[in-house]
Amino acid sequence: MRVTEILKLDQLEPGMQLAEPVLDESGRVLVPAGAEVNESLVHGLQRREIVQVSVSYEQAEDPAQREARLAQINAQLAHLFRKAGDDDATRQLQRAVMAFRSGDAP
Amino acid sequence: MSPLDREQVVSHLKQLPSLPSVVSELLASFGNDDIDVGRIAQQIAHDQGLTARVLRVANSSFYGLQSRVGTINEAVVVLGFRAVRSMVLAVGMSGALRLDQCQGFDGQAYLRHCVAVGLAARAIAPFAGHNPELAFTAGILHDIGELVLASSFPEQYAAVLAYRAQHDCFMVVAERDILGLDHAEVGGLLADTWHFPSSLRDAVALHHQPASAPAGSLADLIHVADGIAHALGMALAQDEMVMPVERTAWLRLGLDSEKLGRILPQVESDMDATYQAIKG
Repeated sequence: MRVTEILKLDQLEPGMQLAEPVLDESGRVLVPAGAEVNESLVHGLQRREIVQVSVSYEQAEDPAQREARLAQINAQLAHLFRKAGDDDATRQLQRAVMAFRSGDAP
Repeated sequence: MSPLDREQVVSHLKQLPSLPSVVSELLASFGNDDIDVGRIAQQIAHDQGLTARVLRVANSSFYGLQSRVGTINEAVVVLGFRAVRSMVLAVGMSGALRLDQCQGFDGQAYLRHCVAVGLAARAIAPFAGHNPELAFTAGILHDIGELVLASSFPEQYAAVLAYRAQHDCFMVVAERDILGLDHAEVGGLLADTWHFPSSLRDAVALHHQPASAPAGSLADLIHVADGIAHALGMALAQDEMVMPVERTAWLRLGLDSEKLGRILPQVESDMDATYQAIKG
């Protein structure tokens, strides 16, 4: 699950990405959105006395949370497909929607 | 409740308000390569209600235009005549049927489902060698037989809806049990009355039995798009249900999980903006 939030510099981890560009006082772009967080980027921001930035990163879902979410999607689909029968084509459609809803789409 | 016979239905269809002349002309233009696009655009522009709704669809995120189009002429230039034609047909024909009162008929769920089928059909079209714009129109119109039944025979159709709710069955089953005919057949009769091109007629009349339509017909596409729309629960109706997807249609379209993986997100992401625009 991708999360976007505003973090202080000491909370940044390598591999996070800037969600918004960092601008100087006159509105010029210092670091563009999408730049990857690394040590030299953090040093640069410290030098400019920037306190916090908006970043996005992949957060591993809690296994229990994930299981509950999948169970809910499964139940919704079971309800929608309650009279759809067992033919191949129908089941392929159901699997594709399951994959899409759970975020595992190919 | 006594079943309806076809003649009764057909005589009601003949009493329906006629289509706006520009809509009839656009329908006729499918079989005609020699179209005066400028004149048709002007005709569309004369119908202000239609123009406003068409422009709203054109400017919705559905088409992802960089800048807004303000006139029908601009829309034709930017999106092409075919796209504008499909929008006018989708918007103009649904608007021709007035739904006064039919107990239990959920007009919002109806339209949401039709928009979802239109979007799914449009997304499948490139994989099946179909014109996406025509596919979209066919999707919007595929259940128009339900609208005909609900507006022309509100009491009988209310009984159908009550039966369906009670038995949790497919709409076509409830229609056949109560009325003796279903919305696809009625849609086909309407398509004949309003002189739909045969591709659109097949999509409306045969979307529940695509195997009996010729290969390469839009019926396959609409049948599967119908399944996709229900599988995504796009009507937002408690009693929504997926019907079995016919293997013949599925195989003829050559769909697989990778293609579906591209189609499903498109339908969902375009859904709300397109629904809002078409709802008017």
